[in-house]
Amino acid sequence: MYAGGHSGQYSYTLALIHFVLDIDIGILITHAYYCFAHRFNYTHLKVQNMAVRLIPAVLLMGVCYMLLVTVKLYAARYYFTFAYSESFWAFFSQNYVVLLATGIRLMAIWVLAFHLYHYALMEIGTATDNARLQVVARDAQMQQLSAQLNPHFFFNALNSVKALTNTNPAKARRAIDLLSDLLRATLYGGHARLISLHDEVNLVSDYLELEKIRFEERLQFSVDMEQGIQHFLIPPLSIQTLVENAVKHGIAQQKDGGEIKITIKNTDGKIHVTVLNPGRLISVGNEHRLGLKNLQDRLLLQYQNQASFVMEEAYGDKVSSTLIMPVS
Amino acid sequence: MKKIKVIIVDDERLAREEVRTALSYYPDVEIVAEAVNADEAKLLIQKHQPQLVFLDVQMPGKSGFDLLEMLDIVPEVIFTTAFDQYAVKAFEADALDYLVKPIRDERFAKAMEKVRTKLNTTTDNRQIFIKDGSKCYFLKTDEIHLVESMDNYAVLYFGDKKTFLKRSLNQMEERLDATTFFRVNRAQIINLAFIDQISHLPGGKLKISLKNGQVVEVSERQSVKFKGKLKA
Repeated sequence: MYAGGHSGQYSYTLALIHFVLDIDIGILITHAYYCFAHRFNYTHLKVQNMAVRLIPAVLLMGVCYMLLVTVKLYAARYYFTFAYSESFWAFFSQNYVVLLATGIRLMAIWVLAFHLYHYALMEIGTATDNARLQVVARDAQMQQLSAQLNPHFFFNALNSVKALTNTNPAKARRAIDLLSDLLRATLYGGHARLISLHDEVNLVSDYLELEKIRFEERLQFSVDMEQGIQHFLIPPLSIQTLVENAVKHGIAQQKDGGEIKITIKNTDGKIHVTVLNPGRLISVGNEHRLGLKNLQDRLLLQYQNQASFVMEEAYGDKVSSTLIMPVS
Repeated sequence: MKKIKVIIVDDERLAREEVRTALSYYPDVEIVAEAVNADEAKLLIQKHQPQLVFLDVQMPGKSGFDLLEMLDIVPEVIFTTAFDQYAVKAFEADALDYLVKPIRDERFAKAMEKVRTKLNTTTDNRQIFIKDGSKCYFLKTDEIHLVESMDNYAVLYFGDKKTFLKRSLNQMEERLDATTFFRVNRAQIINLAFIDQISHLPGGKLKISLKNGQVVEVSERQSVKFKGKLKA
């Protein structure tokens, strides 16, 4: 509307000057807003708080735009039009409404775009942070759930060893070796995501041998693992948790003890672990189930819904715990 | 020197052996029996009437706490356990001591020191194990001033408290020291040490006020007995 001049003849020079000045004015006003917005942290405000600040800001920017453009137009006419005689105030009163409206419109669009851009930046940042946090939380959860042998087991075992040093030093020495390996496995190995069936079964056997020193003839056990699956990976101490539970609720609660039978098979591409122990499936307090709950959480984290864990009463006053995990 | 009679209760042979070894340094202690579970322990305690029992908390079937509840008169008890969670409960139960396995020699010595002090200072060591809801404690029988029968329960009054015990009054009478306690009527037994005033009622009956203000009426037959007892 103003760009080409107005006296019939089109001036490229004038158009260029208008264009450059328009850009300068635009940059000047928006940059001033940019500095101001950053200074007062507008980009981190909530939407409703931002809205009340944006309206006066846009009005103010519109007024600045109007003033600067009026001056620019008047100066252009004054210098480039021959014998131009209109006074500034007359020119101003003639044009300010249109210019103000244009200014407000342009500035509103710019401010909106500016804040949308920052909002998008922030959203992307939050999403990235959330994803990272999720990973960290999962790791922490795993860490916290990383199974540990029951501390009471260690104290009971140590008490047995202490008694054995008098009566059966050879057995005491063997017990210390077993205890050392178990401690090493849980202190250093407990944080691994997965270990081989071979390692887990070794650990379970050490554990049972130690418990047999404590329970003597009250504890019998057998471990039966299918050939060729030793290298399959499972969460550490998962079988151990079931066995520990079997000892605590099966053997320790029976005056005459009984047998713990462990079977590990590969059926339909899944690892089936069954632990059979004497006893009844009674509802026990929550704290007693902590180990099993922990195991279930670990299975869920590791395999989502691909793994399952069931405990049920079996024929002849026995309890059977079955753990099914995908082969990995 | 009269020896302290001790029974060791633990389901694990090696754990019993440990206590036995620790006790071997105390010549004034005599281990009269060992028990592997609560039922066996109950019989042996009733038979030998030991002054002291080393008691494992976790045993197959019934726990150490269950055992104490089954006993009419409870000896001094030292709990032995590898389980820390029972520590608080044992202290609430006001046991003489509780020891975590494995037991250090110096810690064991401290417990035995407590045993000696306790057995030397108290003349009547009779106590009853009370389980009141979730709270457990030992009640010295000489702290009881009145026992009342109520349905199948005996109500024990002691201090400003009372507690219910699933025992008949006859059972209670048998367990309590006959020199301190007296059956005043069909439904009440009083501790003679807590008598404040005795007055006569028409018909030769007696009325006894206890120090805490409770008043009991002595039956005709028991009044005669009571008068005889006073003269004696």
